[in-house]
Amino acid sequence: MNKSVSVVDIETITKTFGQQTAVDSLSLSVPEGSIYGFIGPNGSGKTTTLRMIMRIYHPDPGPGRIRVLGEESFDAANDRIGYLPEERGLYKKMRVREILRFYAELKGLRDFKPAVDGWLDRLDLMDAANKRVEALSKGMAQKVQFISAVLAQPELVILDEPFTGLDPVNTDVLREAVLDLRRRGATVIFSTHDMGVAEKMCDFIFMIFKGRKVLDGTLESIQETYGQDTVRVSVEGNGYDPHTIDGVEKVTDFGRFQELRITPETDTQDLLSALMRCGRVTHFELARPSLHDIFVRIAGPDTQETAEQTTPLEADDA
Amino acid sequence: MRRIIVVAVREYQAAVKTKAFIISILAMPVFMGGGIVVQTFMRDRVDTTDKKIAVLDQTGRLYDAVAEAARERNETGIFRGEGEARKKIRPRFLIEQAEVSSDDPARTVFELSERVRNDQIFAFVIIGPDVVKPGDDPTRARVAYHSNTPTYDDFKNWAAGVLNRHTQQLRFQAVDLEPEVVQEATQRVPVANLGLVSLDEEGRITEAEESNQIANMLVPMGLMMLMFMVVMVSASPLMQSVVEEKMQRIAEVLLGSVTPFQLMLGKLLGIVGVSLTMATIYLVGAFFAIHQAGYGQFFPTHLVWWFVLFQAMAVLLYGSIFAAIGASVSDMKEAQNLMTPVMLLVIAPMFVWLNVVKEPLATSSVVMSLFPPATPMLMILRQAVPPGVPLWQPLLGVGLVIVTTMVCVFAAGRIFRVGILMQGKGANIGEMMRWVLRG
Repeated sequence: MNKSVSVVDIETITKTFGQQTAVDSLSLSVPEGSIYGFIGPNGSGKTTTLRMIMRIYHPDPGPGRIRVLGEESFDAANDRIGYLPEERGLYKKMRVREILRFYAELKGLRDFKPAVDGWLDRLDLMDAANKRVEALSKGMAQKVQFISAVLAQPELVILDEPFTGLDPVNTDVLREAVLDLRRRGATVIFSTHDMGVAEKMCDFIFMIFKGRKVLDGTLESIQETYGQDTVRVSVEGNGYDPHTIDGVEKVTDFGRFQELRITPETDTQDLLSALMRCGRVTHFELARPSLHDIFVRIAGPDTQETAEQTTPLEADDA
Repeated sequence: MRRIIVVAVREYQAAVKTKAFIISILAMPVFMGGGIVVQTFMRDRVDTTDKKIAVLDQTGRLYDAVAEAARERNETGIFRGEGEARKKIRPRFLIEQAEVSSDDPARTVFELSERVRNDQIFAFVIIGPDVVKPGDDPTRARVAYHSNTPTYDDFKNWAAGVLNRHTQQLRFQAVDLEPEVVQEATQRVPVANLGLVSLDEEGRITEAEESNQIANMLVPMGLMMLMFMVVMVSASPLMQSVVEEKMQRIAEVLLGSVTPFQLMLGKLLGIVGVSLTMATIYLVGAFFAIHQAGYGQFFPTHLVWWFVLFQAMAVLLYGSIFAAIGASVSDMKEAQNLMTPVMLLVIAPMFVWLNVVKEPLATSSVVMSLFPPATPMLMILRQAVPPGVPLWQPLLGVGLVIVTTMVCVFAAGRIFRVGILMQGKGANIGEMMRWVLRG
């Protein structure tokens, strides 16, 4: 893996729609062979950024530039890039194999049959190969769309919320497939609302909020930035109320334990003493903030919105 | 180019493989052929029960003639075929003499009417006393035919012929005119519709051919209607397919592999292929049908290539407009609203075609046929009317249509690019114009 080469290189680009600024002086560099996760609340500019990388949208005129695979000007229709948009659909009347053949031909893949068979087999779609799309379940259709994006062995794969709407089994199958793409040398950019997936899979995490970049780096570096200000505790005792303790900024109750965020100047030893005065401390752990927590810190405190972010499956199925 | 062709092939297959396409291809000949078959079949399937008609002849001079004519018709005029195959195809008219039953003329008419209502007779005729010699009042020459089935006019038409013939004879006799003399004096002068004469290879002047008025009208009209139909059947589904791609979110997936312009161009080429398939089927079908019927000389062979060219351009022109509409709306209902003005353009030639056929070389016809949206249909119409048009006109027409088509495809491409990813709301004409100008 050569991390010195950038597959996607964005310098201070802006995109406005009418009065609204969707993406504001954004810069980004995606190293070759990495998995880059885009996170951010709905409407924060993820899809717009991905569409600009795809050249479906052009950034506003200005000093900024976008280089993708070393090229500054190219069509959206680049055979070296595979794209799975957030808004996706398939021709209902076509059969699965016909559709995959159509996309393979669009990408200029000549000998597509082994590739199609390989992917159908791998994603457990062999039985559906000759079915019409209208007869497929939502999850199956999504897997077909995923195949259509990666069939031609693109060097760069851009997936806009690829796991949304999938059951855990299919999520695992697709996640394994994405990791495999990277093993074969492809660079993968995907956006997700699932912080767990982002934490587990991504080499780099990029968060955009209200059109601006707010996080960009490895999970470790991000957690480092947000410091060790999180403590997980479990205390038995009637007089225990973590809100009353000095130095505690925020309490998130998980039932079996509480996650406390403390101010930078608070000494964890002082906190432990204060907790011991309240009751019997059964658990005390210095924790790194989870990505979820960091996300909520940035995009909160709107709890309504937070709820949406944390349950993407339900939100999308509704 | 590869991507455009891949899109075009898919579009073509998606259109041609549907049941709707096969049905619409078959529908026209089936309807036309079926119509002829049904008409032929129904012609002899009329009610042949006898029709009893009462005739009240107040002149006293016409009843016998009517009765005699009816008898003669019943014996010879209502059959088809000879010998064994002889078959009755018309009802007999049984004539009976009616009498004045009351001093009040209205009472007589009422009583006859009652007989019709009671199904004793089918209808009755009252010939007024002054029919043969009405003097200055034309209403007194009128014969009254009363029936309860006003749409059945076979007897009325037959009786009118018989009564007129005999009344005229009686009138000629009254002034001592021989019927033969009258016939000779009133013979009609026919006017023949001839083409021009020219020299043949040996320098002799050819005879003028009598031109076939029906063919002269039907061939241009047929070509224009065929083009209209092919454009409608192949171009308007393009809008549906673009709306489908938009509504079912297929568009952006495609845009990962093709540019919007390539996508639109591919779709356009696909439907041009569809239209050419349809036109080929119909032209070949018409060619054989016309030859089979023995009218081979009327098939406009010299215009086939012009037709194909104009038709392909018409499909491109209208197809690009339909694609732009499809890309800028959010559902079919909005699309229908925007369609209306375009449809007016498409059917505009239908409003003027008769004038153009009658005077294909008039300035107004030339100008109308050079108006690009109407050129494909009106130019082929004018070309099909003998003796055709000067070559520069269709050439200029093709040039203008190419320029217009290119502008339309370009503008539609820009509208398509912005519109195809817009969800939720449709664009108005103003917004579409802005997309075209700003890109």
